Amino acid sequence: MAQIGSIVQFSGHQHLRQRLVLSILSGKHVRIDKIRSEDKNPGLRDFEVSLLRLLEKVTNGTIIEISLTGTAILLKPGIISGGPITHDCPLSRSIGYFLEPIIMLSPFAKKPVHLTLKGITTDEHDLSVDLLRTVTLPHLQLFGISDGLELRIKRRGAAPGGGGEVQFLCPVVKQVKTLNFIEPGKIKRIRGIAHAVRVNPQFSNRMIEAARSILNRYIPDIYLYSDVYKGDESGKSPGYALSLLTESTTSALHCAEAISEPGVAPEDIGLKATRALLAEVNRGGCVDRKHQTLVLLMMVLGSEDVGRCRMGEPTPRTIQFLRDVQSFFGTSFKIVSADTSDPECTHLLYSCYGTGYVNANRTLA
Amino acid sequence: MDDRPHKTHRPATSGGKVAKKEKGKEKQHGFNDKAFAPMSGRNADRQGRRNVERDQTRLHVPLVNRTPDDDPPPVIVAIVGPPGVGKSTLMKSLIRRYTKQSLNEIKGPVTVVSGKKRRLTFVECNNDLNSMIDIGKIADLVLLMVDGSFGFEMETFEFLNVLQSHGFPKVIGILTHLDLIKKAATLRTTKKALKKRFWTEIYQGAKLFYLSGVINGRYPDTEILNLSRFVSVMKFRPLVFRNSHPYLLADRLEDLTPRELVRTSKGKCDRTVTLYGYVRGTNLRLGTKVHIPGVGDLDIKDATALGDPCPLPTADSEKRRKLSEKKKLLVHAPMSDVGGVMYDKDAVWVNVPGNFTRGNNEVYQGEGEQMVMDLQDVNSTLEDAVSKSQIKLFGSSSKPLTTDSAVNQDIDMDDASDDEDDDGTDDFNSQDEEEDDQSGIDSDEEDEDNLFDNDEEIHRGIQNTGRSSHRTSIRTLPSSSKKQRADIEYADSDSDLGNDDDLDFGGKRVRFGGDEDRDIPSDDGGELYEGEDEDEDAHEDEFAPKWKANLSQRAEAASSRKARQKDWTKLIYSTSLTAEEILHGEKQEQKSDVEMDEDDLFQVKKTTGDDAEALDMSKESVEKEELKKWEDEDMLESIRHLFITGGDGPLGEGGQDGEQDNEPFGADDEDDEDEDAEPQPSSSNTTTSRADALAAKKAALKRKFDEQYDDPDSSKLDFYEEKKDEMARQLALNRAEFEGVDAESRALVEGFRPGVYVRIELTNVPCEMIENFDPTYPIVVGGLLPAEERFGYVQVRIKRHRWYSKTLKNNDPLIFSLGWRRFQSIPIYSLDDHSIRMRMLKYTPEHMHCYATFYGPVSLPNTGFCAFNSLLGDTPGFRVSATGVVLDIDRSVKIVKKIKLTGVPYKIFKNTAFIKDMFSTALEVAKFEGANIRTVSGIRGQVKKALPKPEGTFRATFEDKILKSDIVFLRAWYSIQPRKFYNPVSSLLLSDKNKWTGMRLTGQIRRDEGIKTPLNVNSTYKKIERPARRFNPLVIPKKLQASLPYASKPKRMKPQQHETYLQKRAVVMEPEEKKAIALLQQIRALRKDQVARRKEKKGEKKVERQKKLVREEAKKGEKDKERKKDIMRMAGQKSKRDADMEDGRGRSKRRKT
Repeated sequence: MAQIGSIVQFSGHQHLRQRLVLSILSGKHVRIDKIRSEDKNPGLRDFEVSLLRLLEKVTNGTIIEISLTGTAILLKPGIISGGPITHDCPLSRSIGYFLEPIIMLSPFAKKPVHLTLKGITTDEHDLSVDLLRTVTLPHLQLFGISDGLELRIKRRGAAPGGGGEVQFLCPVVKQVKTLNFIEPGKIKRIRGIAHAVRVNPQFSNRMIEAARSILNRYIPDIYLYSDVYKGDESGKSPGYALSLLTESTTSALHCAEAISEPGVAPEDIGLKATRALLAEVNRGGCVDRKHQTLVLLMMVLGSEDVGRCRMGEPTPRTIQFLRDVQSFFGTSFKIVSADTSDPECTHLLYSCYGTGYVNANRTLA
Repeated sequence: MDDRPHKTHRPATSGGKVAKKEKGKEKQHGFNDKAFAPMSGRNADRQGRRNVERDQTRLHVPLVNRTPDDDPPPVIVAIVGPPGVGKSTLMKSLIRRYTKQSLNEIKGPVTVVSGKKRRLTFVECNNDLNSMIDIGKIADLVLLMVDGSFGFEMETFEFLNVLQSHGFPKVIGILTHLDLIKKAATLRTTKKALKKRFWTEIYQGAKLFYLSGVINGRYPDTEILNLSRFVSVMKFRPLVFRNSHPYLLADRLEDLTPRELVRTSKGKCDRTVTLYGYVRGTNLRLGTKVHIPGVGDLDIKDATALGDPCPLPTADSEKRRKLSEKKKLLVHAPMSDVGGVMYDKDAVWVNVPGNFTRGNNEVYQGEGEQMVMDLQDVNSTLEDAVSKSQIKLFGSSSKPLTTDSAVNQDIDMDDASDDEDDDGTDDFNSQDEEEDDQSGIDSDEEDEDNLFDNDEEIHRGIQNTGRSSHRTSIRTLPSSSKKQRADIEYADSDSDLGNDDDLDFGGKRVRFGGDEDRDIPSDDGGELYEGEDEDEDAHEDEFAPKWKANLSQRAEAASSRKARQKDWTKLIYSTSLTAEEILHGEKQEQKSDVEMDEDDLFQVKKTTGDDAEALDMSKESVEKEELKKWEDEDMLESIRHLFITGGDGPLGEGGQDGEQDNEPFGADDEDDEDEDAEPQPSSSNTTTSRADALAAKKAALKRKFDEQYDDPDSSKLDFYEEKKDEMARQLALNRAEFEGVDAESRALVEGFRPGVYVRIELTNVPCEMIENFDPTYPIVVGGLLPAEERFGYVQVRIKRHRWYSKTLKNNDPLIFSLGWRRFQSIPIYSLDDHSIRMRMLKYTPEHMHCYATFYGPVSLPNTGFCAFNSLLGDTPGFRVSATGVVLDIDRSVKIVKKIKLTGVPYKIFKNTAFIKDMFSTALEVAKFEGANIRTVSGIRGQVKKALPKPEGTFRATFEDKILKSDIVFLRAWYSIQPRKFYNPVSSLLLSDKNKWTGMRLTGQIRRDEGIKTPLNVNSTYKKIERPARRFNPLVIPKKLQASLPYASKPKRMKPQQHETYLQKRAVVMEPEEKKAIALLQQIRALRKDQVARRKEKKGEKKVERQKKLVREEAKKGEKDKERKKDIMRMAGQKSKRDADMEDGRGRSKRRKT
């Protein structure tokens, strides 16, 4: 009786990752059609297929049906099993594309996830592994996921050639804690990592110099590390990048990064990253724009209490995410201005009633 | 009586008493330290230990109680016991005690108000095991009734075991029929024995009540009063399962299926059903599934909060300590016959004493009766009433709504009396104002008036359109704000329906008092109206109200005014704007509005052209322009206040930030207060605010300092207290967050809180549930978590119940009661074999846990369950066959069973042998190359390689030479899967609800059908003939014998031929010797005789004793016979009484335990 879980329907190739993640977490089947059906090259791209393969590896009992043309998929999610997994990411997208959904899923796995991903570690579309390590993972700590949470960068791989390798270790939790994060605090420290592979190692120092020229005026607690990988660990292509983050007194994190472009001096990359960081800082809130969805998802999955978080305006991705959450979990957020007395306040207070999501996959010892 | 002031006590100032008191006072000056001091150090130590231990026993794992303290749902008091024990009598007595009303026939749950803070729902549990399981899962307090004159029955123990596996609610035992025991001594011993048994079953010191006899069909009032006192002070600890699932006990059920559909399908169509009840457990949210035990998983189509039919007395109505007598009359029992109102399956019957003749004034007429009587007084037709009636949409409306009598849709509105209409409009009005309060931050008075006028006109416009969509939207259900009276259903009449519900325009929820909507820059509300009206214009061109004229300008003005303060919640959840449109300017919005106008009919084609190749990426591409502005030095300086070195910012919040610099993350409560408190001083005076900030900062510093240095123990709580504090804080936050939010959006975000009376609409309900509805069977609606809707393999730890007489066999169907569900599935039992593999078991072990894996709906790990082989009433013996807990959920299982492949050697070399008959092909051998094999005698070996010639033979090596007669075997593991069988116990769908049978065992089917067990000839037992083995004697060749050393030579000698000396010699005795021998012979003869006589005597005694024993045996037998007779006589009396009492629905007693 009622064996078939309700199917959630979507169309279009956009927001594929969050929909797959929500489907696996909620256990609802999802059907996505019209995937680039109007395109000259219709259907799923290689990285999307690779992502589906990765999700199949991470879960047990997942059934993925892809239509003949590749323009429609049906996902019947199984349980998140975890354990040791290795996956080769295609060179069309960086590791961040694959790791982000895994980070959302892995706290709710049966066994601690030990995932090895190979491919490009930094590119212009997705979060680089540096940011994932220094910013995304600390966000999980807000929800009580901390012991044994680690991202090891074994090798770096820059854009066309790839050849990087990271290991992601994540513990399992029974239930995530309810977030109550409404005080953005003031920025107390700035950290950064500049890396350069298969280019002059001096490049990273030049980026750091450029960044410091702007940031030094604010606070003295600035440490920008120069991270040079050599030989086999440096991947197959040359490249360099600077990733920056600020931490506030209440440990709110904001980040930005810039990566090498042909014909642009390292100093300019450094300045670009710094200015992007300042723009991000200026937007404010307790969570930066890149991590809104992660934090909101974890708030939805919290215990049956009110979770609150202060953030800036939602990004288009976040808006779609909020709608998708409603169709999967039936949870909607209350979004009000953080400071009702101040008309100029752009910050919003997101509050929701957690679904009381308990990790059903976890084995009782 | 209470209001009269009492005379105050005036103590004596002189006399003997005073002297005595003075004397006493001299002795003790304050607290006597020595009084409680221990005498010795050892005692002190012991006392200290004891205190500490007692403190620890007080502690329990802190659990969050999701049930709100204010306005909690009624406590479910279940009355459970075997038939004829007096359950209905007790329920009647209790209800009489609380409501002063006698109910004739109780069906289903009855809710009463028992105190200022507590309501009780009484529910009687029949003797069906299915009902007992369901009741056990929801009852907060169980009144377990036991027939004192009979003792405990099997069902009682079964019920207790069910309770144990689903979280133990509070249990109060009640012994009845004690008046049947005549002798005081017997009564005392019976009470003692029953109490002892009860205590071992529940806990030492569990409360047991004694009810003596029945007077006037009820128990004695004093005893009931005592019981009710215990019930009213009972405290409840939250149970884990109930604290994570929403559920409700349905106290009313209505079938909403269109009658025509039922008629055409001959009642076989799926039904639409509404269930009513109080939400309990956690918040009930829409979009989740529910499970009704006995029916199945169902989707909630709709849920609405209704007015409380049995409300608690409010604070202002009850200033006094005690409950007023008026409140005591409240009783909500829709399925029973209460107060003249009968809720039938799908109708409401009003029963008026006397008859409906006018002038019949001797009978008291309640409000309801009066209304029915008034219906007779109608002397004008409905149409007249319609034409005469005046409807004011608002209290503030200057003139009544004028209707066109030709427009027939108004009939919906008008067939009720005027005063009710006024009610409705008042409601409407108040709600409008409420909304204004929310949105109208900057709307000035004049503006508001203006909007009001508009509203009115909108309404009028809509009234005149005559479109069916409006009409249907008006006809919605009674909403939460409307107080619904408990016993009168008239509130459901058409007139006051839906006037405070939302109107539904093409699937979007839009509020009627739409001034709020107009504030949104997208102005979906306003524009929508426009859109709707454009449709109208098609047939009503001349109708162009003036409010439309300047609408667009006003909308623009509004949007520019509120450009910053977008209503994000509304934009995201209730519009179909794309994300970009929400975020960016109005041009896109205008465009989208045009599209939205016709999305009633047509699907809007999304403009996906430009973002067709947009990547799903988490980093936003940074715009050059945005970065450019950071080259500006001023811009760089402008964010300095965001850094700790930056000092106060440009805004008032800077000060606040500065003050909280040192505060650790997580001190949010104080922050809240600060936020609330901050704005006023900053607006009034900057200097005072600065001083305040400074003071606050100082206070914070001082607190911090105190915490660090002053008294570290005082501020530090122990872990337990800390956790409890944390929970309390979170609960306070939960309450505070949605305090001011209106009920509807609150329901959207947080669902229906526990304690709310809701109406749940369910679709696709099997028609049998309605057809075979029986109010005596409880209907429980259990909410499911997202994980619980799924299916998978569930691994549980299970133990056969020690009172269950049989062992459980692998692959036999078992009925589980797990979570909300009752279902039959096929488990596979297994045990962990050295942590290497899960090994299948054929039977459950005795007195030990084992694992079981079955296919079924998933439940969270750590959920308890109990299992049954049969739920039928006539099953002999104890029915709970196993209990256990869920361990793991998975989509695949790995359970193995042992398989032994055997073969025999056909050629043996030294340590090598060729084995045949184990495999049939070389391929199989290849698969097992290197596998360990063994002979029966214990010689170990290994599979080497397949032999080419006879197919399936292979070469194997052993650690020693094996014999030709040895059997070689290979031990392997064969993995098995549990059968995918899930059969929900759909007992509520049956007409005979306690006759549910699931899958039967093969043997049972054969027995039922009278089929003989097929007999395989090869399986019959035959006499085994084993020929005696003959072993040839060991022959050692002569040659070999000769060469052997002496020690090893076989020693062979011929037997002696000649007589030996001892045989040959003659004995000649001396006379002395002869004499001695003769004497000896005589003595021996005497002795022999003595022994013989003694033996004879013993024999005689033995016979005598035998006789005595026989005599005693006979006496004993006689006594036994008498006792048996006694018992039989009592049993006969009992069964006779049962037959008298029972109304034939329960089953008779099985046996006394």
